[in-house]
Amino acid sequence: MASTDTAPSAPSDSSTGDPSRHAIGDAARPVPQGHKPKRQPLWKIFRSMPIVVKMASIWLTLVVVGAIYSKLDVTVFDGALPLQDPNLQLNNFNPATGEFGTVEPLSAPSASHWLGTDALARDTFSRIVHGSWVSVIVVVVSVLCGVVIGGLLGSLVGFVRKKTETIVMAVVDVVLAFPALILLLALVSIFEVRDLFIISFVIGVLSIPIYTRVARANSLAVSNREFVTAARAIGTKPTRILRREIIPNVLPTLLAYAMVAAASVIVVEGALSFLGLSVQLPTSTWGNMINQARRDIKENVWQVLFPSLSLTITVLSLNQVGDFFQKRSAFRGSAL
Amino acid sequence: MHRRGVKRALAIPLLLSMVVAACGGDDDGDTASDDTSVEATTGDATDDTGDGGDDGGDDGGDVTTPATVEDTDTSIVREEGERTYGGDVIFGLEAEAVGMRPWEDACGEPCLNIQLSMMEQLMRERADGSYGPWLATDITSNDDFTVWTMTLRDGVTFHNGEPFNAQTIVDMYPVQQSGTSGAAAINAAKLASLEATGDMEITYTLSTPNSAFPASLAGVLGRVFEPKAAAADPDGFTMNPIGTGPFVMDKRDIDNETVVVRNENYWMSDPDGNQLPYLDSITFRPIPDEGTRLDSLLSGTVNMMHSLRQGTIRDARGADGIQLYEFQGNNTGGGMYNTAVPPFDDVRVRRGLNLMNNQEAVIDALGGTGISLPATQWFSPDSPYWTQEAADAWPTFDFEAGVESIQAYIDDPARSDGKAPGELIDVELSCPPDPTLIAAMQVIEQVWTGSGLVNVTLTQFDQATHISNAVNDAHRAHCWRWSSNQDPSLAIDPVVAPPEESVSNFPNFFNEESFQLAQQALQTDDVEERTELYKEIMLNFAEDSIFWYSGYTATMVAVDPSIQGINGWLLPDGTLGNGFPNAFVTFTEVWIEQ
Repeated sequence: MASTDTAPSAPSDSSTGDPSRHAIGDAARPVPQGHKPKRQPLWKIFRSMPIVVKMASIWLTLVVVGAIYSKLDVTVFDGALPLQDPNLQLNNFNPATGEFGTVEPLSAPSASHWLGTDALARDTFSRIVHGSWVSVIVVVVSVLCGVVIGGLLGSLVGFVRKKTETIVMAVVDVVLAFPALILLLALVSIFEVRDLFIISFVIGVLSIPIYTRVARANSLAVSNREFVTAARAIGTKPTRILRREIIPNVLPTLLAYAMVAAASVIVVEGALSFLGLSVQLPTSTWGNMINQARRDIKENVWQVLFPSLSLTITVLSLNQVGDFFQKRSAFRGSAL
Repeated sequence: MHRRGVKRALAIPLLLSMVVAACGGDDDGDTASDDTSVEATTGDATDDTGDGGDDGGDDGGDVTTPATVEDTDTSIVREEGERTYGGDVIFGLEAEAVGMRPWEDACGEPCLNIQLSMMEQLMRERADGSYGPWLATDITSNDDFTVWTMTLRDGVTFHNGEPFNAQTIVDMYPVQQSGTSGAAAINAAKLASLEATGDMEITYTLSTPNSAFPASLAGVLGRVFEPKAAAADPDGFTMNPIGTGPFVMDKRDIDNETVVVRNENYWMSDPDGNQLPYLDSITFRPIPDEGTRLDSLLSGTVNMMHSLRQGTIRDARGADGIQLYEFQGNNTGGGMYNTAVPPFDDVRVRRGLNLMNNQEAVIDALGGTGISLPATQWFSPDSPYWTQEAADAWPTFDFEAGVESIQAYIDDPARSDGKAPGELIDVELSCPPDPTLIAAMQVIEQVWTGSGLVNVTLTQFDQATHISNAVNDAHRAHCWRWSSNQDPSLAIDPVVAPPEESVSNFPNFFNEESFQLAQQALQTDDVEERTELYKEIMLNFAEDSIFWYSGYTATMVAVDPSIQGINGWLLPDGTLGNGFPNAFVTFTEVWIEQ
């Protein structure tokens, strides 16, 4: 975890003239109350990315767009959008037509099935696109859960300290001591949870401790800065200091960390799916696609390869983008 | 209520132990619970030696059953060729054998391969399905099959030099009673007591008539271990089992390898008078991954392997330089409905769902096309109990008829699930999370859902939870396996018994006629008569629609072509043995061609 204290040296904020960077610890210029840091436009951030990070960003965008598209196809357009039914077994009896399908299972990529078909003659491309919805929801819900609850908690205890910090961090340490994946497996199998949002929420809850730790570490550092001392000296209420000085300065690091954590979350969901403990079948997820295809790996490697690649590239992309934003947040800290 | 609760309490650990031991095979015992198991490519609760059988032996000639599936030769044939001494077999097993105590440990096919190389049974199954004496020489019963008198083979000694006689069986009995597997086998055989009525004669007294008792002696109940050693150090017996078998334990390194070497004092000889066994040693190596095990055979790391998975059989068929021995068992894949829960309490729903079960597509999803036949009853066509009439009675795929049957239920104002007429029925279909079963359940789901009448929920639980759900009546439409290669009574009786008396009546369905037919079958040893009785039960099964079927279990032993004698071994009376049921090999007459 990159820390503001260990960041490499870099030009000072004042030299860049970026008003968003003077807020941290500039004792000579305490942050005016109500000041809102100016946000850099997304396209400028994109332009500043290395080529690999750019490609990663594009891939992540595609995944999100694909997820939304597949959901719209099912919920709004009732399958009318140009994407094949991910669950239709094209070699089985089709009750809608009253006929048996003739499409070969485990077929190689072709014009009619871009990524081939699986063992039940279902279109693999469509299943991967629909599977991305599961990954996106798991990431969004769990990251939101972690950032909001863990971030607030960590910022609070890092600022307040004393007994509150001792108690909260003791609880966090206890929860962290449990192997999260094992705990998750036990929870979903005992309570027979198969709802996507509940599974995502459970993953999010289990990731709260680590977000708390990250937020607390940054909150501790920020709390000792001159501008916080100055705010205290002029009689600013602690809640206002927390809201206006601490959290805004902890958040960038936390969000950058969230990108990296999101990659882990996708892997965790993939593991659950692989073990048959994620969302209910026949909903496709990348993990259950790999699980179902592994039996036929000698006969047709494509059906394991494509969902695996989707998973790998997404995780890699999140790591790349996460690293990029972590460096940006560290760069911000270096101006102290 | 309490009685059933106690039965469940006893059954759960037994079933779980069965599953644990069986990851890949399953249980061998004569227990009631052996008769059923979760449908998974990793499991079938089949017996190692059993198969329902007609009486009368074979003269040692070939018994050739017709090939029942495309490209499959399931015939049992006595191999020709000059037998030669020497050589080592290295056998790749699909799982390690955790326990070697016949009275305590559940023992699946991997375990049986190891255990029965060192221990022997009082009876063994012949190629024609009947049972012949092995460590016994003769067995007779009274007229009502409640008292059985058995004569034991003279001149047999255990590996530690102890003699085998009637006192051995008497001394084994309390050990068997104290163990999980042994007690279940005693209960299933309806054995009340036994006594030595001579130096080499035992008399068994049963609580109720049981014409299939010899089949029980070909399972856990008849598996002979040295009782003094077992009583002195029960736990140590797992590491150093002592029996009368053709091989003696040499080295046991759990999860790595178990080595057995030739028993120089073995009692049995081949028809030419040559002392058995031929091999110097057998090394058993657990290789759980199917692909790795097959690759190990192809690369020569092992020279024998087995598999209970259709996908591996398919891959092995495509490989060069190996010899395959395939087997079609009675074990019948599919599932059951919990008829105690609406809407499965109504035969219109059950029958409708069965009519919409496309068996061919399910078998294809299981990877069994060309390997496994669609099941129509609890006996494969190789079994003497299979009948054409039962096969014809089983409903074949008819979507329209299925819709019509369920529609009749849905439109019925008095429908049992309490919903308003016209509302969809809810079906929870559950299987363990095995890739093949996941595929199979999705095939079924597509058609059921596509009827527009069924709201299907697919659930998956690990095997232990899956079994526990069935035991605790927390199941609805539940993947399961039925039947075994034991005597039919062992599989069928617990399922047709009143649900309040039998924990293994998982469908919670009672048909008085089926129950009475099963009781009658225990009172005759005439195979034709028994076949007719079991046929009637199969017809009732088709009519009541409490099960759905996919295909029969296919298993395989694959070897280096120089290894011979797997298929056509003989019983001591010269009759042909039952080959290699469920990938379990009898090593007595295996030799390596020079």
